[in-house]
Amino acid sequence: MIPALRLDDVSFSYGRVPALERVSFSVAPGERVALLGRNGAGKSTVVRLVAGLQRPDEGTLWVGDWDTRDCVPEQLAWRVGSVFQHADQQLFARTVRDDVSFGPRALGVGEREVERRTARALEDLDLTAHAGHHPYDLPPALRKLAALAGALALEPALLVLDEPTIGLDRALRARVTRALLDRSAGSVALLVITHDLTFAAESLERGLVLDRGSLVCDESLAGLLGDATRLEPLGLAPPPVAALSAALDLPGRPVRAADVATALARVARGKPAP
Amino acid sequence: MSRLHPYTLLAIAGALPAFAWILPPPSGGTWTAAVALVLTLTPGAKLTPGASPGTTGVGSSPGWRPGLGVFRTAVLTAAPFWLFLLLLHDVPTTIAIGLRITTMVASFVWLVAALAPARLVEAMVASGWSASVAYLLAATLSAVPMLKARAQRIVEAQRCRGLSPRGGVAARMRALRALALPLVLSALHEVDERALALETRGLVPGIRRTPLAPPPDSAVERAARWVLLLACLFALVRRLIAPGFS
Amino acid sequence: MRSLLLDRASFWYPATESPTLRDVSLDVAQGEVVALVGALGAGASTLLLVAADLAPRVTGGRLAGSVARRDRSGIVLPTPWTQVSGMAFTVWDEIAFGPANLAWPAHEIARQVDRALEHLQLAPLASRDPATLSGGELQRVIIAAILAMDPGLVLFDEPAAELDADGAGMLWRLIRLLAREGKAVLLATSALDALPDVADRVVWLEGGAIRAVGTPDLLADVATCDAGLGTSTATVWRAAGLPAPYPLTVAQAVRGWR
Repeated sequence: MIPALRLDDVSFSYGRVPALERVSFSVAPGERVALLGRNGAGKSTVVRLVAGLQRPDEGTLWVGDWDTRDCVPEQLAWRVGSVFQHADQQLFARTVRDDVSFGPRALGVGEREVERRTARALEDLDLTAHAGHHPYDLPPALRKLAALAGALALEPALLVLDEPTIGLDRALRARVTRALLDRSAGSVALLVITHDLTFAAESLERGLVLDRGSLVCDESLAGLLGDATRLEPLGLAPPPVAALSAALDLPGRPVRAADVATALARVARGKPAP
Repeated sequence: MSRLHPYTLLAIAGALPAFAWILPPPSGGTWTAAVALVLTLTPGAKLTPGASPGTTGVGSSPGWRPGLGVFRTAVLTAAPFWLFLLLLHDVPTTIAIGLRITTMVASFVWLVAALAPARLVEAMVASGWSASVAYLLAATLSAVPMLKARAQRIVEAQRCRGLSPRGGVAARMRALRALALPLVLSALHEVDERALALETRGLVPGIRRTPLAPPPDSAVERAARWVLLLACLFALVRRLIAPGFS
Repeated sequence: MRSLLLDRASFWYPATESPTLRDVSLDVAQGEVVALVGALGAGASTLLLVAADLAPRVTGGRLAGSVARRDRSGIVLPTPWTQVSGMAFTVWDEIAFGPANLAWPAHEIARQVDRALEHLQLAPLASRDPATLSGGELQRVIIAAILAMDPGLVLFDEPAAELDADGAGMLWRLIRLLAREGKAVLLATSALDALPDVADRVVWLEGGAIRAVGTPDLLADVATCDAGLGTSTATVWRAAGLPAPYPLTVAQAVRGWR
C-alpha cells in the first residue's frame, strides 16, 4: 500500500539558513503522527513542503504517488488538507457554512457533494449550531475550529495541522481529538505539529521528533511520552498523565487519560484498604 | 541610502513627484521617473515584512533581493495606470501623465523600502514632535509591508484550500474576494487589540518620548533639503508666471 | 500591601445587554500570584482588561462598582503579533519602546531593557528583527517589553499559549521571581497543571462571576474536576473512581500511593 506521505532524504534551507537536513519518514493511511520538537526545529518547514508551498532543495516528497515537485498547492489540495497557524485569518465568507464549503467548492466537486462534506465537517467539530453565523461573530477559539472544519471538508487523504489546539480549552480540544480519531478510522493519515503533549497522547499514536532540522526520533508515543530522560534533552516534558503512569508504574504504562484511569482503578482494587 | 536622515529621504520622495508635476512634460516627467526608478535599485532598499507570525524564526526574511524587488514592485504598481491612461487619452497625454504617476509611485515605494519607521519616529521625536503624531506617520509606512506579509499568508492558505489563480474573469473575481476579504477583515478585527496593546506600552497622547537613537543629521543634508525645497518653489513660480512654456 | 482591589465590579461591553463581569470582588497583594481559571468566555480576559484600566477607558462600555490600583500595571495579551509596536527593527528597540514612551532617561532605559533581556533569556536575539521571530520567541519579547516598564501589577492573559515546554517552564519560574521581587501578578491561564507551583491563589470564574476562590488545592476539588478545570492528575483520579481527596500533582499522587 502506498504511504499517504513519504519524505525521502529531504533537505531544505531558507536562503543560507538550513532548516531541514536529510529527513526521511513515511506515514501510512490512517496513521496518526505527532511532529514534535522545540521552536525553530523545522516542524513548520515540513508542513510548508508537504503543502507544496516550497520545494525541497534535495530529496523528494511524495504525497501518495505524486511528487510535490510536480505539483502546485491548489493541486495538492485534492490530497492534503493543511491548516497553518493563525488559520483563522483565512476566514472571509458571510457564514461559517459558506467558508467551510469554500474548499470543496474550489475543488469542483458537485454541489450536493459540497453540501455533504460541509455538513459532515461541521458536525464532526460540533459547529452546526454556529453554521449560519458570520465567522467574526465567533470567539477566536471557535474561528480556529471553523478553519479546521474547512480542511476537513476537503476530505483529503492526509491532514497536516500546525498547532491545532493553541487557544482552545479542554472541551474544545476534546472535540478536535474526536474529529481526528474519527477521520483516522476512515483511513485519513494525520501529521500534527503540536507542543501540547497531553493532546498528542490523546489523539496521536506515533511521534517524530525534530531537533535542529534533523529527525532524531521516530517511535510510538506510548513509549516516548513516559520517558522524561529521553524527552528532556529534546526540549519536551512528559505530559502529567503519562508522568503519573510512569511514576506509579502502572501495568502497560498507558498514556491516554481513559486508559490510565482504567489501569489506576484496576490496581487500586488489588491494593489492600488503607 | 538608508543611512541618510529620514527627513532627507522624505524630502527626496516629496521633491521628485513635485518636480514631475511642475516641470513641463515630457522631459520633466522623464528624468524624475528615471531618477525615482534608479533609486528603487539602490542597495539598502528592501521591503521588510513587518510584524508577521508564522515564520520559522530563521534569520533573513525570505524573498529579500537587494533593489530588484523594490524596482519590480514600483513597475508593477505603476503599470495598470498606464493601461488605464492609454484607454482614455492619446499617446502624448498618456506619456505625460504616465511619467508623473510613475514618479509618484516609484518615489512612494522607494520611501517605504528605504525609510525605517523607527528611524522616522526617532527623528521626529528628536525634533520635538509629539510621539503620537510621529507614530501616525510611521504606522502608515509600516502598514504596507505588514499587510503584504499577511496577504501572502492568506494567499497560501487559500491555495491550499484549492483556490486557483487561473481561470476566467468570473473565477478570478471570486478568487479576489477570497484573498481581499480575509485581509481586510482580519486586519480590521485586530485594530482594537492593537490599540489596547499600544496603550499599555505607554503610547498615549501628550507624552514626551525619550529619543533612543536619534538619526545623525549633517549640515550637508540639511543644506541639501533646503536646496530641494527652494528648487521646487523656484520651478513652481517659474511655471506659474510663464504658462506659455507648455 | 494591596496592589489591586476590585469591589463588586460589573462590566458591560458597548451595546451589550448582559454583563461580561458580574459583581466581582477580588484583591491582589504585592508579592502574590493569583490565577484566574474558567472556561472560554467566562470573563477572565475582560477582568484583566478592567484591572489594566483598559476597560472601559479604551474598550468603551460601562463599569459598575469600583477598581482601585496602587501601582502602574502592564498587561500581556494572548496574541503576540498584535502587540508588536511596528516601529522597532530590533528586539532591543522593541523592548525599549515602552520605557521610552515613559520618558525615562536613556541609561535607565538601557538598564531595564538589559534586565528584561536577561529574565527572558533573549540576549542572543537582541539584534534580530521582531518580524522574523517565531510565535514563541515573539511572546517572550512582548513579556520582556512589558516587564521593562517595571509595572507594579503584572497581568498575563494566556502567556504560555505559544510557548514550547522550555519556554513555558521559564515563564512559570519568572512569574515566581516577579512575586519575590514584590510585584503583584494576576494571570489567566488554561495551563492548570502548572498552577500548583506557580499560583498562591486560584479564582474560578464562571459566567462572569466568581464561583470559588482558594489555594491551588481548589483544582483537585470534585466540582472543578467535573467542570473540566481540575489538574490532569486530579481529573484522572476521579475518572478512575478513586475516593476524594484527589491528588493535585503527580508528586502528591506518588506520595499517597505508597
